[in-house]
Amino acid sequence: MNLLDRYLEAVKKFLPWDRQDDILAELRANLESQLEDKEAELGRPLRADEVEAWLKQIGPPTQMAARYQPQRYLIGPETFPIYWLVMRLAFLWAIPVYAIVNAVQIATETPNWTAVLQAGLRLPYVLLMAAAWITLVFAALEFMVTRYPAKFQAVTGGYDGWSSNALPDLSLTPSKKKRTYAHAVAEVIFGIIFLIWLLLVPQHPYVLWGPGAVYLRSSPFQLAPVWFQFYWCVVVLNIFQLGWRCVDLLRGTWRLQRPVQQIVMKAVGLIPLAALLSGQVWVMLKQPALDQAKYGQTADAINTSVRLSLTLVLVIVTMQLVWEAVGIGLNAYRRRMAATR
Amino acid sequence: MTVAENFFENLRLELRRGCLTLAVLAQLRQEHYGYTLRKALAERGMEIDESTLYPLLRRLETQGLLASEWREEAKRNKRFYRLSDDGEEIFAKLLHEWNAINTSIHNIL
Repeated sequence: MNLLDRYLEAVKKFLPWDRQDDILAELRANLESQLEDKEAELGRPLRADEVEAWLKQIGPPTQMAARYQPQRYLIGPETFPIYWLVMRLAFLWAIPVYAIVNAVQIATETPNWTAVLQAGLRLPYVLLMAAAWITLVFAALEFMVTRYPAKFQAVTGGYDGWSSNALPDLSLTPSKKKRTYAHAVAEVIFGIIFLIWLLLVPQHPYVLWGPGAVYLRSSPFQLAPVWFQFYWCVVVLNIFQLGWRCVDLLRGTWRLQRPVQQIVMKAVGLIPLAALLSGQVWVMLKQPALDQAKYGQTADAINTSVRLSLTLVLVIVTMQLVWEAVGIGLNAYRRRMAATR
Repeated sequence: MTVAENFFENLRLELRRGCLTLAVLAQLRQEHYGYTLRKALAERGMEIDESTLYPLLRRLETQGLLASEWREEAKRNKRFYRLSDDGEEIFAKLLHEWNAINTSIHNIL
């Protein structure tokens, strides 16, 4: 078997099986004609090394065969932007939904760090599965659209239906307006009023509870000590925020809402919530010896609900914080990259 | 190959790809089989690799732009190609487009 036969045999292995004989016969005819021309020019048969050089110039069998294959991709350029958008949305929703579901599940069972760690380790698998399913669906869609373009006109012609009127309103994008002096002063004044109101709560519970304060006084339940820790955390936090705003006002730096400052404020705001969640009991009986039999189950049910609610709130607020921090980080990165260009 | 050379090579191939199809369609107003077509194009300054031309002929035939038939010539069975009716129509449109692009580029330059 000469080199050309071996070359063609190698090409055959990579050709589409339903057309390989036909393609190979044509390729053989073309290459043999070319070989004959070369030999006629030289007036002698080509030596083995010359045939080898000629075949090398034609290219490897895999490359030759690959060109006979239709162009293949899982997701084509027209579908890719929608695929990518769906993928990002899926990730955007999968992470918080997964976090909330697991937080609730862990809170209702016996909360422990092993369960949290296991949930965290399962996240990449969940995201990978989501990505795999989305890719599979879009690959199937791409296949159908490519194979039956007429039947999937609605999909392929999807871009024709867009309207410029459907573009989002600019007024809905976040405002970059600077704060006014009046705004900054109002924040300080209302901050002081809120702090005074907060400090009145222990001595005058009705400012918080209203008529409900009377009911609480006569009810068999009372708030657990962890609420007092929470209360003082909130007071300290408000004093801290108020102080910061006053400094801003005095320094004349109230105009710009500094994103990092906002993030720090929100992060500090997590401390009271975390302190509150650290408690095991939030509502207790005033007279356990007397009321345990009658109200014990109710107190347990209230505590379970409070734990669940606090866990949910903490998870959501933490995720919001992470989201905003990532957004600020990305914006800073974009600005830096734009400045270096 | 440097990054710049690689970038240029990609752009060159992209630019050539459409022109090759036009050249092949133009040349196949006369009947050819693969090898003679390649020689005819090369003689007119359009060199095309075997691994590019022969699959391209198949693709154009599948798209209905070329018609082909197996025939014996010089004691060897060969597949001869020529422009189909649809191919002639599309070739005329493509040629018009190519001329328009050519004129535009000259105007810009």
